[in-house]
Amino acid sequence: MRALLPLSASMGFVALLALSGCGFSGGAGGAESSASGDQRIVVDNFRAPVAGWALESDSAYILSLSGCLETLTRYDEKQGKVVPSLATEWKQVAPTEWDFTIREGVQFQDGSELTAETVVASLNHVLEAEVPARAFSPTVVSGIKSIDDSTVRITTPSESPLVPYRLASVNTGVLSPAAFEDDAVDPFGHCTGPFTPVSEKPKQSLTLERNENYWGGQVQLAGAEVRFITDGATRAAQVQTGEADVSLSVPVSSLSTLEADSGVKVLKADSPRTATLYMNNGRAPFDDVDFRKAIRSALDLDALAGSVYEGAAIASSGPFAPSEPWATKNIEPQGQDLKAAKELLTAVGYTVERPLEIIAIVERAEFADVATVIQANLKSVGVPVTIQTKEYAAVEPDLLAGNYDMVLSQRNRLIDIADPIGFLTADYTCEGSYNLSHFCDEDYDKLIAQAAETADTEDRYRLYSEAGQILQEQAVNIWLVNEQAVDAVRTDLQSYIQDPLSRYVLRAETTKPAS
Amino acid sequence: MMFLARRTATLGITVLLASFVVFLIPYVTPGDAVRKIIRTRVAGDVIDDSAVQALTVELGLQDPLWVQYLRWLGRLGSGDMGLSYTSRTPVIDQVLPAFWITLSLVVVTLGVAAAIAVVLGIAAALQEGRTADRLITTVTQAFIALPEYWLAPMLVLVFALKLSLLPSAGWEGPASVILPVAVLALRPTSYFTSAVREGMLDALGAEHVTAARSRGLSYSQAVWKHVIPNSLLPLTTMVAVWFAGLLGGSVIVEVIFAIPGMGRLLYDAVLNSDIPLAQGGVVIVVGLAVVLTTTADLIHRLLNPRLRMHHA
Repeated sequence: MRALLPLSASMGFVALLALSGCGFSGGAGGAESSASGDQRIVVDNFRAPVAGWALESDSAYILSLSGCLETLTRYDEKQGKVVPSLATEWKQVAPTEWDFTIREGVQFQDGSELTAETVVASLNHVLEAEVPARAFSPTVVSGIKSIDDSTVRITTPSESPLVPYRLASVNTGVLSPAAFEDDAVDPFGHCTGPFTPVSEKPKQSLTLERNENYWGGQVQLAGAEVRFITDGATRAAQVQTGEADVSLSVPVSSLSTLEADSGVKVLKADSPRTATLYMNNGRAPFDDVDFRKAIRSALDLDALAGSVYEGAAIASSGPFAPSEPWATKNIEPQGQDLKAAKELLTAVGYTVERPLEIIAIVERAEFADVATVIQANLKSVGVPVTIQTKEYAAVEPDLLAGNYDMVLSQRNRLIDIADPIGFLTADYTCEGSYNLSHFCDEDYDKLIAQAAETADTEDRYRLYSEAGQILQEQAVNIWLVNEQAVDAVRTDLQSYIQDPLSRYVLRAETTKPAS
Repeated sequence: MMFLARRTATLGITVLLASFVVFLIPYVTPGDAVRKIIRTRVAGDVIDDSAVQALTVELGLQDPLWVQYLRWLGRLGSGDMGLSYTSRTPVIDQVLPAFWITLSLVVVTLGVAAAIAVVLGIAAALQEGRTADRLITTVTQAFIALPEYWLAPMLVLVFALKLSLLPSAGWEGPASVILPVAVLALRPTSYFTSAVREGMLDALGAEHVTAARSRGLSYSQAVWKHVIPNSLLPLTTMVAVWFAGLLGGSVIVEVIFAIPGMGRLLYDAVLNSDIPLAQGGVVIVVGLAVVLTTTADLIHRLLNPRLRMHHA
């Protein structure tokens, strides 16, 4: 009996581990490697699905990066425009109507045909969601119907040139009718993309197999596993050990180690995120443009980018990243000019009796350091600053109500669609729903209203650029640094194209040689 | 019997009080819960007020807190923890898998910690005042000072990156359990070792041991039969307390090692204002903690003749 006890205890442990899903097939090496054409890779993603697989949620990003979910159009970063995907062409047939021609010969992974009817049904699920996606909500889309077997008509409440951009949003990904048979969305085997999701370990990973019938050509990899690893240092470690082939969004603190590793390639791209010092334009002394310019002149953005961001961000020259097609060309970030700052402060009559406060939101750990650098910069021109670190949700009501001086935050300009109209409208128009700066300028509003109705892409981008110049001239906020999307991949991975928004990661052409 | 009835009544009241505190937690954290929920469900910072109002009504959050609490308690009583606000799936379906994972992690951790502690504690006591005793005491005390957020990356650096012996993260096979268990086991090992050592020293000097020796028992026989069994008694209570603590307190290790257990589930639930998920998770942890400590107390009384007699 005594001899049996340790054995039964061991078996108990083993049974417990098995019960908890901790199986016996794994090991130190994550990505398998066998014969050519049978390669599988592992992608470490920075988030797990929190809202099931609801398409209106961030889960759509995971399905898209996994090579499962596809949209009618897609935004091509290199070309800076929307290109065909499940729709081959589109046309504005009336001021508020767009027709999309559905690609022929496309099958869902469950074998059913992609038709105008199935597209309408899928899009309606997103439109009718309890909390619809901003890119595709009843506010911007009033109707979806099929005109014939291969044409889908989208109707908007008012004239909008941006419908093709909305249909590039991952939230408008198309699933087969079988995906919506139950209450929860089931993407398993119901996408059109190069990879078919076959199993999921909740909060851990998604396993995908090659879609043999992919409409876009032969899929090189046999399959892949997308792991949900929220800790950045762990993602960085996994690509170094070879447990992962791709680690998305690695932290700045791991950059030097990764760059020194010969087996790892670090990829950087401008992201549509700018760390910004929001200033409350509606409250003194920030209601004086010269005071705001004084604050801007006092800051050393290059030093900020080099120190706190360790080179993973570049000093900003305005509200847009330089590589964005609507950014004003050939302008340099404004350098620190303490003399000019002091002169402006004297001119506006600023005195130390009005100390300033910066709120650094805790969700971005680096903002505490950024606030400290700004505090030191402003101290050198005689402006005392106190720093408050708070949770964003706790300060949001005060920000929207205008009860603050300055807040450090960061916005993704292209979070809903690959066009900054939503950001420029919500954040800076007089009636903007997210106008934290409490900025209001008639000329700016006219430009944005005009842009919203301009179909020609180049003309629209020119208007955005002009709007950006107004924001910069008025020193509405101080755009500190343009953040970079930093991914790390194993050097033997081929045909991997970095997407700054991590929408397209697993592609048909991605391959890895047999080892 | 009276003692058992009293403890059971206390247990019930404690669980009920805990359920009320647990219910209140999400409401006393800063920020608008509905806005937080929406942010987890749709991308972006900008939120339509109409969506906020609609979701508030749909989730019944406009009702007074006591109405919400009674509604929640009524459902809980029938085993229904409700639907997660973010995933819209039953809370129980998310809590149970996470619970099993953390349970297995904690069982292995405490098993390893107790096994090491018994060996080290006995060795230290038998070598009291000598080099081995001082070494064991110093090293195990040093374990307490090692924070998990530092130790975990260090172990990953050595065993995954440098030596390629173990996976750096995940919950994929026995190998992936080793590093998290090593990190989690350090502090309980230290406390358990200290407890076993003290228990041994107390027992070694006890009258019944001396009496046993006078009846002709050899030193080693007296140690095996009378000293070691008594020295292990405090360990049962300590293991129960640590068990309860680790069930909800392994969040750092679970995040670093990407283990989808209870700690990470609760962390994500609070972060996303997923009130039913947070409440369901904490109720299970707190409920189990109360049951475990009560059970440990009962066992302790059952095994310890002095306590039994005192009670009688």
